[in-house]
This record gives sequence, structure tokens and C-alpha cells, in this order.
Amino acid sequence: MIEIAVTGIGVISPLGIGRGAFWEGCRKAKTGIKKITSFDTTSLRSNIAGWIDDFNPRQFMPPKSYRRMGRVSMMAVASSVEALQDSGLDLDNIDKEKVAVIMGTSYGNSSHIEDFYVSLLEDGPRGAHPFLFPETVPNAPASHIAMFHGITGPNNTFCQNELSAENAIMYARNLLSQNLVDVVLVGGADELSAMQYTCYDAVGALNKVRAEEGETIRPEPGSGLILGEGAGILVMERIDVARKRDAKIYGVLKSGVIRGGITDIGHYEIEGEQMARAVFLAIEDAGMDPGEIDQIDISANFTGELDKMEYNQLRQIFRGRNNNLEVTPLKYLMGDFGGAGIIRAAAILLSIYNKLPLPTVNIEALRSEAENFPVWNISPTGKTDTALMTSTTFGGGTSSLIFTKQ
Amino acid sequence: MNKDTSRRVAVTGLGIITSIGDSVPAFREGLFSGKCGIEPISLFDTTGFSCHSAGQIKNIDPEGFFSPREIKRNSRCDLLGLIAADEALSDSGLDIAKYTKEKIGVVLGGGAGGMLSWEKYRRALWLKKTRPRPSLLLPTAPCTLTDFVASRYKLTGLRATICTACSSSATSIGYGFDLIRSGDQDIVVTGGSESLSELTFSGFHSLRLMDPEYCRPFDRHRRGLSLGEGAAILILEDYERAEDRNATIYAEVLGYATNSDAVHITSPDAEGMSRVMIQALKNANVNVDQVDYINAHGTATRINDQMETRAIKKVFNGECAGDLTISSTKSMVGHCLGAAGAIEGVATVLALHEQVVPPTIHLEVPDPDCDLDYVPDYSRKKEINFAMSNSFAFGGNNTSVVFARSKV
Repeated sequence: MIEIAVTGIGVISPLGIGRGAFWEGCRKAKTGIKKITSFDTTSLRSNIAGWIDDFNPRQFMPPKSYRRMGRVSMMAVASSVEALQDSGLDLDNIDKEKVAVIMGTSYGNSSHIEDFYVSLLEDGPRGAHPFLFPETVPNAPASHIAMFHGITGPNNTFCQNELSAENAIMYARNLLSQNLVDVVLVGGADELSAMQYTCYDAVGALNKVRAEEGETIRPEPGSGLILGEGAGILVMERIDVARKRDAKIYGVLKSGVIRGGITDIGHYEIEGEQMARAVFLAIEDAGMDPGEIDQIDISANFTGELDKMEYNQLRQIFRGRNNNLEVTPLKYLMGDFGGAGIIRAAAILLSIYNKLPLPTVNIEALRSEAENFPVWNISPTGKTDTALMTSTTFGGGTSSLIFTKQ
Repeated sequence: MNKDTSRRVAVTGLGIITSIGDSVPAFREGLFSGKCGIEPISLFDTTGFSCHSAGQIKNIDPEGFFSPREIKRNSRCDLLGLIAADEALSDSGLDIAKYTKEKIGVVLGGGAGGMLSWEKYRRALWLKKTRPRPSLLLPTAPCTLTDFVASRYKLTGLRATICTACSSSATSIGYGFDLIRSGDQDIVVTGGSESLSELTFSGFHSLRLMDPEYCRPFDRHRRGLSLGEGAAILILEDYERAEDRNATIYAEVLGYATNSDAVHITSPDAEGMSRVMIQALKNANVNVDQVDYINAHGTATRINDQMETRAIKKVFNGECAGDLTISSTKSMVGHCLGAAGAIEGVATVLALHEQVVPPTIHLEVPDPDCDLDYVPDYSRKKEINFAMSNSFAFGGNNTSVVFARSKV
């Protein structure tokens, strides 16, 4: 497989809006998790999430453009504007049929599903609002990106719960390695919606914390899922093409593997057999061994099952590191959502490019029996050349990606 | 890449459940005899709508096939998908135990997924009557079927769910093709499932895109689409491996393309449609004059059928368009959204396998704007060597998949 260069980054996240603010947030291990005030949570068992309270689409596009967009579409288009600008690509001078838009999202504009259905319940068949319905399809964000920039190449959207963005990355790589396109805008985007939040609350998946506004929240590992929202876009090109045009290269996607663990609905792979297999294959495909991995970015999200499984498997895979195994569970800061993988990848790439390590916690903090809240270690120096990003979703899917400096 | 050295891809197993047949033999019979599955809806109340019919599956009888726990916890969409997956896997004759499970992937297309279950929950909350059962919410994510199929057959290969509305499962066939060609996977379970839901029904109704009676693709008096439900699964397999084990090869997948109109969120565009067909044929290394049959997107909305006809004419330069046969499977089963691409993929594969072009039914009065050979009413025997299946979705997401007759 060929190496894929990342040449542009756009991020809208609870840690910061825009890649500069986001990276600053990362370096401070700032938390984006706070009490939800964007919808009513009084009847729910939980009321916290990693969410964005200061996103203004107008900073990225004229109001006319986002008049009909849902929140996910707006965030996705906004991050595509930032990423494209960053890449230095001039879309007017390239063949837009050779540019692809590939997105990952758990549910798309799910608040529109709820709004539309409630309008049907309340106002009857003739009152249901026609403008809401087209935005309910999960491919709406990718379509809006294509329409906004006039991009006419391959367009695809993946929905695989917390593995959605990773799926998008692998499909982008598939297109680039077949030479079917020159550029891919690959992204992930999700919103914190009342619809999704109440569903997760009802099935008892959420962290049962009820916080006050402004209160600093310090959830314990293993205490339950914390949802999040955000959007990110990476501009991907084949490395030879990126070098030829003298592009800024944040880093390289060296290898990637997706596998499926066998588990029950709503659960993570319990033992993590396939998770470990994916890590092994990705490291092998990159021509490396575990000792050469400088940074480990993990998908732990405060659920007992996932965090414990990652703890057990990573302790085993990186057993040479004994008690010094440092990992980055970015979802501990921003919450979890289907497109989160792109934002985690963006953090890794910014770390590689800026030669500044990601914030880490000692892996012992992942154990649900750990008594202490995770303590973040922010190092001024450290090796940043290679990173493993491992992701596992409920339902069983798992992926490993290896990023390196160019 | 994508040529010469890479592997060929065979379709070696089919499974399907639709309103015109709940298995491949029954669907084949319905497809070639021009059966209509569009009838009054009983799944939910349609009072107040101007349309009351759809391609609803009357007898899903999962008793015996599923455990009571599966029936309780699975959405209608996932039940349909599991029935089709089971048929396809057994049809393929694969002894899964013999294969490296991590080389068997599951890539499915999703639509509204478990919306019907979510709606039950949401409606109960709204009525403030009883506290609804939270497990209704478990299958809300569009990818639950993918996980179910993988878990049921212990398949640990690549797992992905594509959600591009009406082109989802066509693209799943395409991605499965890529994965086998590149050697990443040896076998991929592709396809998709969709059940009727109030969300999609009222959605298309609100956009005034539904025919009050039944859809009549390419007809002058067409008034819109009919919705449908169903599931279809195609087992894709490394061609050489399939030959080695003497599998039935229904057809070969030659290539596909996806693109974006980048014009309008709901309104289709002939330019984007023609580009995706051209790109698919190019990727498949097939010339336009070789194509014998197109399974059209053919929704029967005023604009789709006109645009699709225009796009086909543009691709096939008028002249060879004369020999082309085109038909719309949606005329029989309705528009099955997330499952449409897979159902029409199965129809296309059956056309190649049986050398029969399925008809477009309800086409009574030709539309001057739709002046190609849509094979009205009756199926037709014809030598079909290359065929293409079109799927065009909301958001301007287009997919065309190119299949070839397997060489006997």
C-alpha cells in the first residue's frame, strides 16, 4: 500500500474551534465536558457531554449557504473550509471530479429526525416539514461539502458507530491507492442531539453524572459513556503528489486495518482479540515493531467494557514498557461520537508536525478500579515521530492506524 | 492499479426478501413475470396521507428462524437483512468453517435502519401513556445489521456500513469489489436492508414525491415513487477461489463508480448521472457499445426518469441507446431506499444469469421525454453480456455498478 500524506486539517471540537485552538486545548488537556444546556435534560439520569457552545457557522461561510443545513452539516462544511484553506489547494485549478468527499458519522443530523417526526405527530401528515427530511439522511453533511465547494468526485458516508471516521479514512486510502482520485477530504462529524442522548440515557449506557452549570466534572474511568460532538476534515493526497506540489505535510498514514470483533448488540468486544489483531497487523504492515511506536492514542471513553479491554490488551502488546505505558484517551476530554476518529487523528498529526507530544495519562488510570481520576501528563518534549491510533466501537468493529512523520 | 494484476470478483451467493418474493426463487419468478408488490400498507396507520400503498412484505414469518430474543431485540429491518444473509450464505455453498474468518468482510448499505422501532418508542413518549421499552432503541444505529451478520456467522474481517441513502447498498457492492480486488479480503458479504418506516413514508410524502396509487416508471402519467421494503445480500468472492471450489458463479462484478452531483440536496441532475455511468464503465474497462442492459434507478418521480433518460442518452450517444434495454425493478417492489441498490443488484445478476431482461411494469403511456426501450410489461429473452445498475440518492450521491455474465 502506498503512503498517504495529510496536507490540511480542519477541526470544530469541544476543545476548541479551528485547528489552532484545538491544538492549544489538547496541549493543555483542557476538558470540553460540561453540563448540557442546549436541550432539556431534567428528566434524564445524566446531563453532561463534550459539546460545543460557541460554534458560529458565519465565521466559515455566508448565512445563505447554511440556511438549510443541520448542525452536523454546518460543522462539517466549516471544517472543510478550514482544511482546504490549510492545504493550499486551489480547487479552481484542479479537476474537481478527481476530488472525493468521504465522511463518517454515527447518525448524521439526528436532531432533524426527531424534529421531523415530532412535527408529524403534532401536525399530522400534511404538517410534517418538508425541509427537515432531506437533512435526515446521514450523507447530508458529505453532500453539503460537495455542493459548497462544487466537488463532483466520489462521495461516500460511513456509519459504524464509534468507528465511522476510521472507516472513512480506510475508504479514502482505498480510493487514493487505486489512483481513482488525487485528493480526498476525509472527515467525521456528529452532533450532540436530544434524540441520541435520550436514547443512550434510556438504555442505561451513559455516565450517570448530573452536574451544575460551570461545575468542573471529573468522571471516573469505568463509570459510563460520555457523549460528545464535533467535526473534522483531513485533506489526504498520495505522498508523491503532495511532495510534487510542495505541500505542507503534517504526517503520513502508513498503514491501517479494520477488523470485526464478535460481540452482542450494544457491547464492545469483551476480550479484545480482534482489537489486538488489528494493532498487530497495522504495526506489521507499517514495517515496524511495537517498540518503535512513540505515541499511543486510544479510544477509551469511560465505559467499563472498552477501557478495561484496551487496558488489558495494550498492557500485553506493549509489555516491554512495564509501568511506564503512557496513552492518550482524547475522548476523556471531548466525549465520544462517530466522527471522533478524525479529530483524534488530527491531534496526532498536529503533534507529529509540531514535534510536541500529545497529553497522556498512565494506562493504570484506565482501570475501573483505579481510585484516582486520570491525571494528565503534559510533556514539553518527547518523541513524536510515530503514533498508533486504536479504535473500538460497540457492536464489535475495531481499527488500528499508524501515522508517522513524512 | 485496478487492472491487470488485481483479482477478479465473482458473485457466488444471493439472498433476497421483497414484496414480490421472499427468497431468490420466488423473487426470480416475480421479477420475470412482472409481479406487483405495491399494495395497501398495514404496518402503520396512513390516515391523512394522500398515499396508502407501498411494497410492504406481508408475511415475514421469522418464527422458527429466529430465537424469541432475536425477534424482540431486532428491528424489522435487521430481521429482513438476516433472512437474506442466511439465504445468500447458504446459497453460496461456502463452508465458512474452512475459511480464514478475518478474510471474510461484511460491508452493507444502510437506510433508515431501526427507525420503525425508534418511532414506536418516540410515539409512546409523546402520547405519555406507558413507559416504552428501552430495548426498542438498541437497533437505532444504521450499522446494527452489519454487526449482527458478522456476529451470527463469526466473520471477523473488515466491517463497514455505508449510508448514502438510496445508493447505500449499491456502493456496498462496489466497496466489497475493491476489497477483494486489492487482496484485503477473499469474501465479502454485501447488500443491505430497509424496512418501511413512518419517517421515510412521511418524508417522501412531505416532499410530494409519492404516487397516490402505485409508481409507473417512465410513464407519461407518472406521479412519483412508491416506497418499498426488503433486503438483498450478494456474496462476493475472489473469482479464482470460486472457480476452484466449483461454485455457481452468477455473474462477475467488473467495477463501479460513485460521485456527487454537487448541485441540489433532493433534485437529481443528468450531468452527475451521466458522469457516474461513464466513470463506472471506465473503471470496469467496458465500452458503452458493449452494455446490453441497464437496471435503471427509475423511481417514477417526474424529474428522475426524465434526467436518467437524458443521462443514458448522453452516455450511449443516441445510437447505441437504440439496442439498449432498460428496466426499473422499482416498478414491482417500490423504492427500497437503503436496500434498493442491492435488490436491483440481484435483479441485474439474475438477468445476466438467466439471459432475460426483467420488465418495467405499469408503463402504459410512453412519455416523449422518456423514449428508450424500457421493456414494458413483459420480460424479454436477450443475450446479455454486460449490464449496469444505477442508483441515485438524495444529496446527489450517485453509484453505478457494472456486472458481466460469467463465462460458462
